[in-house]
Amino acid sequence: MAGRWTRLAVVALLALGVWQLGHGAWIHAKAQLAQYLLQRAWARTLEGEREVRPWPWADTWPVARLRVPAHDVDLIVLDGVSGRILAFAPGHASRSAAPGVAGTAIITGHRDTHFRFLEAVKPGDEIVVETPGRSARFRVVDTAVVDSRSAVIREADGPALALLTCYPFDALRAGGPLRWVVTALPVTS
Amino acid sequence: MTRAVILLAIGLFTVASASLAGAAGITEGALMFRTAPGQAAVAAPVQSTDVEMRITGLVVRATVRQTFTNPAGEWAEGVYVFPLPETAAVDHLKMHVGDRIIEGVILERRTAKAVYEQAKAQGQRASLVEQERPNIFTTSVANIPPGAAIAVEIQYQQTVRYDAGRFHVRFPMVVGPRYAAGAPDAERIMPPVQHPDHGPLNPVTLHIELDPGLPVAGIESPYHPIHVTALAGGLYDITLTDGAAPADRDFELVWEPLAGAAPTAVLLTEAEGSDVYALLMVLPPAPAAREQTRVPREVVFVLDNSGSMAGASIQQAKAALKLALARLGAGDTFNVIRFDHTTDSLFFDAREASRQNLRAAERWVDAIQADGGTVMLPALRQALDGVPAPGRLRQVIFLTDGAVGNEAQLFQEIRARLGESRLFTIGIGSAPNSHFMREAARLGRGTFTHIGSPTEVQAKMTALFRKLETPALSDVRLELPGVPGADVLPTPIPDLYLGEPMVVSLKAGTLPTRAILRGRFGLTPWEHDVALHQAAPEAGLAVHWARAKIDALLDARTAGASADEVRLAVIDVALRHHLVSRHTSLVAVDVTPARPGDAAVNTHALKTNLPHGWEYDAVVGLGQGATDAPLHLLAGLAALLLAAAVGLTRPRPALARWVRRGR
Repeated sequence: MAGRWTRLAVVALLALGVWQLGHGAWIHAKAQLAQYLLQRAWARTLEGEREVRPWPWADTWPVARLRVPAHDVDLIVLDGVSGRILAFAPGHASRSAAPGVAGTAIITGHRDTHFRFLEAVKPGDEIVVETPGRSARFRVVDTAVVDSRSAVIREADGPALALLTCYPFDALRAGGPLRWVVTALPVTS
Repeated sequence: MTRAVILLAIGLFTVASASLAGAAGITEGALMFRTAPGQAAVAAPVQSTDVEMRITGLVVRATVRQTFTNPAGEWAEGVYVFPLPETAAVDHLKMHVGDRIIEGVILERRTAKAVYEQAKAQGQRASLVEQERPNIFTTSVANIPPGAAIAVEIQYQQTVRYDAGRFHVRFPMVVGPRYAAGAPDAERIMPPVQHPDHGPLNPVTLHIELDPGLPVAGIESPYHPIHVTALAGGLYDITLTDGAAPADRDFELVWEPLAGAAPTAVLLTEAEGSDVYALLMVLPPAPAAREQTRVPREVVFVLDNSGSMAGASIQQAKAALKLALARLGAGDTFNVIRFDHTTDSLFFDAREASRQNLRAAERWVDAIQADGGTVMLPALRQALDGVPAPGRLRQVIFLTDGAVGNEAQLFQEIRARLGESRLFTIGIGSAPNSHFMREAARLGRGTFTHIGSPTEVQAKMTALFRKLETPALSDVRLELPGVPGADVLPTPIPDLYLGEPMVVSLKAGTLPTRAILRGRFGLTPWEHDVALHQAAPEAGLAVHWARAKIDALLDARTAGASADEVRLAVIDVALRHHLVSRHTSLVAVDVTPARPGDAAVNTHALKTNLPHGWEYDAVVGLGQGATDAPLHLLAGLAALLLAAAVGLTRPRPALARWVRRGR
């Protein structure tokens, strides 16, 4: 009798393990896969099309390409920061300035997928943000941990970039109040 | 250097003037105000409000007492952004310092600000009340001593709204976060928002003395529980059941006269100098049955699905929209437009209200989610640009909370593009921008409706359907025979929909004994004789007229009058009637110096609550920067390891036995 229960327990644990691993892997797979699908939509955006939905039922579209050469990062950024959007790509907060124009552009990403690399970013690293018709080069000036309940991002006079992700990087669960903010200003030549 | 314009709050925000100037803790180029977790900044003053309201017939006189208590050990200046009714005429300011009362004076806005700033610099206690929008005001209080309080008392007057047989008085309590891109004064209308996890702020107590002047069938407050005590003489004493309520939603008081007791005409007068000021309300009868033949309509619905609508609001808006869709007749055509920072529509143009099209509309509406910014202009243009087929009534129904900062630009657009369309606004949520709702509907020659909770959707929409389906009284004119040069406001008198009274403020040398009200229902002319002799004397009507005059002057500016002339005319009327306006402010200064010259003063932008039912992350949030993937992966691994451990450590491995048996 005991053997039967053990068998059931093993089967249940196996199923749970496969399910949980699959779930976790799927989050990563979706994040990776989406970036490939977004490339085509981005190419069409660069050709002058507006609001190119990467798949017919999407409620978002690519707005920028974010490159950080020092960390071998090349990401398509989508419009909006809802959970649905951030699952596929970093998102540009639609209330913030467009990247490269005057004002602070805010791009949010998940710390465990696209924006994992922010942990290693240091002041001086170069960030290139490409938008249709414009390519802007930024240099990281500051990295900081802030409490999202008590901090604000100021609107800059000139172009500025704030990359935002959750903190700490190795937390198991989402939903904490801390944020990691990477601030970058235009490269002055 | 960064501008001190705070557009995007990650969360809430408290900061001393020192760090605003960029001196404390901010490195060159950094964009953050840093307050390390757990480390408290200087505590901001705490604000509480006590409202006393006296309602006599159609006139409301209210006193709003705001108390600013400084819990810190340093001197403080508090800046509080708060709403008042969009028609409020603010005409008094009193500052209470201990037992002393300092009466405020009305000055041109720039002068008042300078007086305040000077007093603040000299260490004197001072307060300043400024108007940012007809429904958004700012109180600044300088030099609140450590551990002490300063109370600021603001008085205003407004009229009761009468609609569909019921009287309404609204008292807004919170300015909802706006999408203020494009507004030059964003920081003046966007107070920092308290994170809901930190509990509510700014408690409000209310005490109302209601003298309805007629027998009442019922009194209710749809959004707050109230305690009503009947007094002698048909008066009522009303308070909030819970004592104080957090300032996170509009308060509304509604009362209904006994059947047959409802007035059809009310005239109130006040003599001031050689002039007579009067308030006249006339309820036109419902149009005769023969005018009620149903005209086919083209109805364009516009749904705001921006982030401020997330939560309860979008549910209410969708429910209202679906009721309206179901109500369309077979001969009607329709379309649905939605907008956040993007605009999209169901069909390219209006289509027949066939069963198939309506089903498509329902599915489309169901799939809409609330997120993103509020860019209303393109949606408004698309909605107003259509041309109706001949013989068809074109109605645009706009469902929004009006969380925008560029009202003036939108009003301009409505004025320019309205044509033969009529614009009806439905204000959704616990704290909609009533100024936008009312003014857009007035310029759009429609009506406005408030829906503040899910339980109201059915009743409020049914009332609106009656208005939409009954011809309005248009081209309304009031004639005062034998009295030339009477100044009747507003002008023109708005179209009157079913159940709406005509309400005008007028100033004249003398009043005739009768007036004639003219208009037309559709193509049928209509006129009505109003006897004016039963005038009841009432104080404060000059203030109503002056407030309406200021609106009319500012209106002339949108219509193209010179900005400078309008400004001077507004200042003239406002100073004469002691009114706060876009160009005049009330300021009170206690001449006794209080703060020693060597003590610093910290400036605090006081936080407000998030309106009830709103979702914090959809409005001020910048996204959640993590997934639960690590947890899933860890849980998965743990489960597999445990399975292996259990399966393999048994004397006769259960796994092996199971596998063998399976063969």
